[in-house]
Amino acid sequence: MGLFDKLAGWLGLKKEVNVLCLGLDNSGKTTIINQLKPTNAQAQDIVPTIGFSIEKFKTSSLSFTVFDMSGQGRYRNLWEHYYKEGQAIIFVIDSADKLRMVVAKEELDTLLNHPDIKHRRIPILFFANKMDVRDALSSVKVSQLLCLENIKDKPWHICATNALKGEGLQEGVDWLQDQIKTMRT
Amino acid sequence: MSESGSDGGKWLDAHYDPVASLYTFSSCVDLADLSGDGESRLVVGDLGSGSSGMKLKVFRGTALMSESTLLDLPAGLVAFFMDLHEPRIPAVAVASGPCIYVYKNLRPYFKFTLPSLEVNTLEQDVWQQVREGQIDPPTLKEMLESIRMKADVPLSVRSLRFLSLDTSDMGEYVQLHKQQPIRRQTVITCIGTLKKSTADEDGVSCLVIGTECSDVYILDPEAFIVLYKMSLPAAPTLMDVTGQYDVEFRITVACRNGNIYILRRESDKPKYCIELASHPVGLVRVGKIVVVGCADESLQGFTQKGKKLWRIVLPAPIITMAAMDLPTRGFQAVLVGLANCEVQLYREKNLLSTIKTPDVVTSICFGRYGREDGTLIMTTKGGGLMVKILKRTAVFDDRDSSAGPPLAQSVRLNVPKKTKLYVDQTLRERENGLAMHRAFQMDLSRLRLAAAKAYVKALESSLTPMSSSLTEPLKMNAVVQGLGPSFKLTLNVQNTAACRPVMNLAVSFLYDENLYRMRNPYMRIPLLVPGLIYPIETFVECTSDRGISDIIKVFILTKGRSSPLLTAHINMPVSEGLTLN
Repeated sequence: MGLFDKLAGWLGLKKEVNVLCLGLDNSGKTTIINQLKPTNAQAQDIVPTIGFSIEKFKTSSLSFTVFDMSGQGRYRNLWEHYYKEGQAIIFVIDSADKLRMVVAKEELDTLLNHPDIKHRRIPILFFANKMDVRDALSSVKVSQLLCLENIKDKPWHICATNALKGEGLQEGVDWLQDQIKTMRT
Repeated sequence: MSESGSDGGKWLDAHYDPVASLYTFSSCVDLADLSGDGESRLVVGDLGSGSSGMKLKVFRGTALMSESTLLDLPAGLVAFFMDLHEPRIPAVAVASGPCIYVYKNLRPYFKFTLPSLEVNTLEQDVWQQVREGQIDPPTLKEMLESIRMKADVPLSVRSLRFLSLDTSDMGEYVQLHKQQPIRRQTVITCIGTLKKSTADEDGVSCLVIGTECSDVYILDPEAFIVLYKMSLPAAPTLMDVTGQYDVEFRITVACRNGNIYILRRESDKPKYCIELASHPVGLVRVGKIVVVGCADESLQGFTQKGKKLWRIVLPAPIITMAAMDLPTRGFQAVLVGLANCEVQLYREKNLLSTIKTPDVVTSICFGRYGREDGTLIMTTKGGGLMVKILKRTAVFDDRDSSAGPPLAQSVRLNVPKKTKLYVDQTLRERENGLAMHRAFQMDLSRLRLAAAKAYVKALESSLTPMSSSLTEPLKMNAVVQGLGPSFKLTLNVQNTAACRPVMNLAVSFLYDENLYRMRNPYMRIPLLVPGLIYPIETFVECTSDRGISDIIKVFILTKGRSSPLLTAHINMPVSEGLTLN
């Protein structure tokens, strides 16, 4: 970290990072973003996102601007318009929806092969969400089904989460923060 | 995710369980949001082994969520909204035998039995006499048979069963049944739904049922009374319903006599009739077109008034058919399951894609399953369950596969105007046509003669680099390397015979001795194995310093023949080595 960054840190100025939050509908993207916001800013009711919404939250050293994209089929073609701006990607998976795991994989493959993403070394954080559901798949199984081991040119990390209680989220965000810091220096 | 070439990777393989032990047909499969949480479930009337194990199964995602036993073989299954209560949860109606079992929240809710039919009075009298002990079983059999032969009203199931029994079992059967009153009942053959007054997705629907005695009933969804009754000339087997009961509706019915009838509101008799050449095995309506699959491996399209639009021949017999309707993309097509383990997708008469399946598909259902709109659910003959999801990016291109004039034919050509020169030439050609043709033919003959002469000459003097001799088929090419005055001359000789080697060959060179000196102007060629290329190398030295070049002739000779087998002329390059000095 450079001297200026340290100075900025002391002054309370934090670096801005744009993060894209992607995933199928009903996977829990908005719920996860809501959990990461400060307690007083959290919404009570989560409704399906239409189009996208922009949310902000801060961690110890970074200020995140999250593009919370809608996961519904008809809005998924909007995702690619924001790939250029994104400096990191959060990909949320509904671990309990075994049937649509192929759809999640298909969308992930499309994302990774997009020209705006393909040749950039941007970190991808996977949240295997809904771990509280009775027959949810483990994060290892999810990463197997999505063939995550084939991602060789980008740093990635998968966390098992329960967005309703916020379990596992902090671990993922800490990893993302470290990755963004190492990218900058 | 495997992508088979024929379907162009349009489908994602979401789930395949080859041993789901699900034996059913398209009429007994439906998708419905049974818990009101926005996730559709798969409801299946499982026929089991055909005599036992009939079940109503509900799948959620990849797992079986619930199952309940059915009393009889299901003939049809539909999910429908029977009331306006919130939350909007559809009921499931299972038609089996003469009854419709209605399930709400997956619990038995109501049982509707078809009204019983009129019983033959003679038959009733005969059984009355049996009850009083006046006649014995053999006489009963005789009397029933005579009634069966001439009566207008058919016999009841009990009498028919009695007639089919052996003489030894008759007494027992009569003892068992004679006290009960005779009833004649029909069975349901097909079932459909008809929106009552609104076209909304979650509007209340009436049940439409077709029966074995050639009637079609429309039932009120709340009171379960017969709202409307229509008669057909034959027993219906397949049914499609569209419209609203209170406004206008149209029921398309395929019947067992090989005809299709179209029923409409305000008429209890069929309005239109389509007479098919072969029996119908599938009936699907796409928009305003009725698509019928026939037993003669054909798919036919008709208008709603029964006018034939098209007919295509399929590669295999049809097993099942279903509509593929994707309103979010405005896409409508027909899925046809064939006996050759393929499911083909047709938009009108054009084949859009083919899905290969590991087993013969017996039921197809397309719609919203779980949270995915474009889901294709198939069950196979071996009891497997297959779920495929249409890719978001999949596009079906409508290529017209039918034979016809190509598109280019209808494009107008840009023909230039007739000029004076063109008209004059045309006139001249018209007048002197005969002379022009003769002149052309003579020139053509001369050209052919000249070509033949040249060829013969070349053959006679063996000037070609290809040997024409049948015993020694050879091929040669020559390469000159170097700047001079010393050149390297490489001859690549190949025996082109299939298996015979060539022996006793030699190479000789003819050149101007004032210009060139050759180290060995005569060489023997070793035995040539067929197919291999033999490089033969020699060195040529240019002795002149005047910067001129000449031709070196190469001859391939064979023992005992004066004329060479092959001749090649090598244009030697100008020696640059000497001029540099």
